Amino acid sequence: MTAQPAIAPLAAADDATVSLWRDAWTRLSRNKLAVASLAVIAILALVAIFGPWLTPYDFLSQDLEARNLSPNWAHPFGTDELGRDVFSRVIYGTRTAFVVAIVVTGIAATLGVVLGAVAGYFGGLIDRFVMWCTDTTMSVPQLLLVVVINASLKPPLVNFMEAQYELTRNPFFRNSIIVDFVLVFGSMALILWPPYARLIRAQVLSIRNRPYVTAARALGLSTPIIISRYVIPNSIGPLIVAISAGLGNAMVLESAFSFLGVGVNPPIPSWGNMISDGLQVWRNHAHLLAAPAIVLGLATVAFSFLGDGLNDALNPKGSK
Amino acid sequence: MSTALLRIENLRKHFPVRLGAFGEKQAVVHALDDVSFEIAEGETLSLVGESGCGKSTTGFAILNLHKPTSGRVVYKGEDIAVFDEKRMRPIRRDLQIVFQDPYSTLNPRMTVGEAVGEPILFHKLATRAELPGRIERLLGDVGLNARFAQRYPHELSGGQRQRVAIARALACEPRFIVCDEAISALDVSIQAQIINLLVDLQAKYGLTYLFIAHDLAVVRHISDRVGVMYLGRFAELGTRQQVFSNPLHPYTKALMSAVPEADPVAERTRQRQILTGDVPSPLDPPSGCRFHTRCPIAMEQCRSVVPEWHDRGAGHFVACHAVAG
Amino acid sequence: MSERLLEVKDLSIEIATRRGPATIVDGIDLHVDKGETLGIVGESGCGKSLTMLSLVRLLPNKIRVSNGTAAFAGRDLLQLSSRELREVRGGKIGFVFQDPMTSLNPVMKIGEQLIEPLLYHREMSKAEARKRAGELLRLVGIPGAEQRLDSYPHELSGGMRQRVMIAIGLACEPELLIADEPTTALDVTIQAQIVDLVKDLRKRLGMSVVWITHDLALIAGLADRICVLYAGTVVEDAPVEQLFAEPAHPYTRGLLASIPRMDGEDAERLNSIGGTPPEPGRRPAGCPFAPRCPMAQEICRTTVPELQPLRGETTPHRVACHVANRVLEAA
Repeated sequence: MTAQPAIAPLAAADDATVSLWRDAWTRLSRNKLAVASLAVIAILALVAIFGPWLTPYDFLSQDLEARNLSPNWAHPFGTDELGRDVFSRVIYGTRTAFVVAIVVTGIAATLGVVLGAVAGYFGGLIDRFVMWCTDTTMSVPQLLLVVVINASLKPPLVNFMEAQYELTRNPFFRNSIIVDFVLVFGSMALILWPPYARLIRAQVLSIRNRPYVTAARALGLSTPIIISRYVIPNSIGPLIVAISAGLGNAMVLESAFSFLGVGVNPPIPSWGNMISDGLQVWRNHAHLLAAPAIVLGLATVAFSFLGDGLNDALNPKGSK
Repeated sequence: MSTALLRIENLRKHFPVRLGAFGEKQAVVHALDDVSFEIAEGETLSLVGESGCGKSTTGFAILNLHKPTSGRVVYKGEDIAVFDEKRMRPIRRDLQIVFQDPYSTLNPRMTVGEAVGEPILFHKLATRAELPGRIERLLGDVGLNARFAQRYPHELSGGQRQRVAIARALACEPRFIVCDEAISALDVSIQAQIINLLVDLQAKYGLTYLFIAHDLAVVRHISDRVGVMYLGRFAELGTRQQVFSNPLHPYTKALMSAVPEADPVAERTRQRQILTGDVPSPLDPPSGCRFHTRCPIAMEQCRSVVPEWHDRGAGHFVACHAVAG
Repeated sequence: MSERLLEVKDLSIEIATRRGPATIVDGIDLHVDKGETLGIVGESGCGKSLTMLSLVRLLPNKIRVSNGTAAFAGRDLLQLSSRELREVRGGKIGFVFQDPMTSLNPVMKIGEQLIEPLLYHREMSKAEARKRAGELLRLVGIPGAEQRLDSYPHELSGGMRQRVMIAIGLACEPELLIADEPTTALDVTIQAQIVDLVKDLRKRLGMSVVWITHDLALIAGLADRICVLYAGTVVEDAPVEQLFAEPAHPYTRGLLASIPRMDGEDAERLNSIGGTPPEPGRRPAGCPFAPRCPMAQEICRTTVPELQPLRGETTPHRVACHVANRVLEAA
């Protein structure tokens, strides 16, 4: 049977319709700054992944004949006071930065999303407890917290590892670098999760009461369908934006902690401890400071512009 | 009048709220108090009143979207007010709703086709193969071209979105639709389109409407019966003829008198009875008759005694001491 | 006959979009006489609010006046320096906006918000200004006016807040009060109170009023003259009785036919206007209403109609339609 329309059907103005994601991608690709940022991040990521094949020298190999060299053909970024190739060390520093940023942001975002969603969805006492945790964490100065965790947990952990090595002779326990990374990851994730939790909680709270969720309930749709097709897709945009900005933030934090000596410790190259070393001799050998600092700056600026670009691309209402 | 599709008995909805800077004070919003009426199969019953009168709450409570505090909603011999979400699910197919704001009732991440098709698949009303045809027919029903199925809500105008929302409600093949201020957010010329569409669909599918609105002229146009609400209670209920030509309750009279007429000559000479003051807070509704604080003919007993729901004959109900005698 | 207070000529407003500027208001001509109430009627997006906001340069970002003049008491508002403009805003021209919930500053007592324009425009002392603020609140019918000066906006109901907004708009005794859908957010019984208040104030203060609305029924009892706007142009301009008795533009007719009446017969169907208004940037070549017009001719699709007196030069009834005479014959 054919339907009898109430009035003549309104013709769609144009048929070419794109999905919101593709639409967002189009908008993002029109944003020159965001595209440039994406390119910078992609190059840095490739450098991080293929670092071992790109470095002309071992990042640890010292050449005492060639100390504090200015940039030249053999050493594009020069050498440091131990005669190590700065270019190779910056490349390894990129690895460190990316590993720390991705793992830390991954842990923090997962923790935050789960706790935030639980708090937002169930409300009541659970909500209050989670929010109390975020408030408490955010009210303690970040650096102080990390310093306290490192100072109090590192010696016992190192001792524990040594004792285990004595007992088992398992070479795994001889490597104290693991302690470094675990502590850096753990403490940074601990200070970085609350913003994600707050964001997701706010999203869930507002979306749960959106008329379209009520409309979906009125249609008799089940809770899992409502959560998976209505709540999550509508809260994912801000999360992507937050994660993009968070990656840059995590890199800066890692460098800051390494700079202060509570992060990744030498001899593992990190931009932060390279900047710290370079700062002491910058009057005579400015390249030692400039190389890691410029790369760090480039990376964080790129992440922050990408975050901005994503924000505009994923919120068509704001840009229209 | 034909048989009752829904019977609402002593429906009550109170919302607890926290007041004060630290939420230290508890209070109760009396959104709906002791409301009873029937909705007959195939009719359009309108609820009118000002903001906070409980007309939307009534619609939400009937559909169990807000769980009623007490009272019964009888559908097919069962009290669905006590049903949980799971038992409600098959019943939601029959009882649908169209909301006020077409800009926010559609999921921005779903195309029109997905939005309309979703309830069909969920309630297994068609196979995947039949789905495109079904969607096309529903869009045709609401006067939209089939090509709209590929579009997203943000590409549509307000009137077009409201058509999609109606198509979505129709997708479940319902018997009853609550139109919750469904045309209030639309422009005048678009309003008329949607009103005509609703009337056509009712004739075609034998739908029953609970039409919630504050625009009395629209209500007069579309309704079979009209209920006038004030602060969570019914003031008056009757056929359109009864309520509009012979309003009994002083509040109904004042409401009618406040509606402007699209006639400058008549407006110039018209004697209007303008209510003074504001609607009292539903947090602390007046005792007795809730209208007594603004009523031009309030008597002593209005302050203390709640007026009875009184049948003045032929199904014309009114709750007022002054006209009961 | 009477003195012009405001005369807007050939006003155009455009919005910057990705595809370049798009016209929203296209050559509007309108005027307000001293002591007159002009109703501006149109649907959302027709440019009725932007036209009025442009007069005091309160247009949102990306939207700008591209052409036109607006003579107000002998001066072109669009050419004023920002200092002269500040004198006009709130001083000579008062504004009342649609949403009383968001147009008041929530962290300032309403007394302070009333006193501010008085101190600025009238250079009163604080004590004088406070006394005047109390009088203003009494004028707009707020009970216990003096005590209310120390209330915050959230302590008042919507209707009371709109009264405060009107009091602020009236504070400096403006020659022109522009009310932009001031009752749309209010209930019908409160709307009736506000309409009566404005009618009464106009009589007492002798000011001119421009009342912007989408509600033809509301404006029928309020305005002396009505301008109907469609897609950024004035399509009809007539004294209120004439507009309702003899609408000459098909759009005006369509609008009047599409509102359900409280008195008339029980019509089976409302006469709706098919289609939707054109989006800015997608305006049709000829008459903007032609794609929806039941009486459109070939000329309507190619040539923009001028706003012209309906019959001869003398009538104040003007309409922008090629087929206006045929519309009237068909009625």
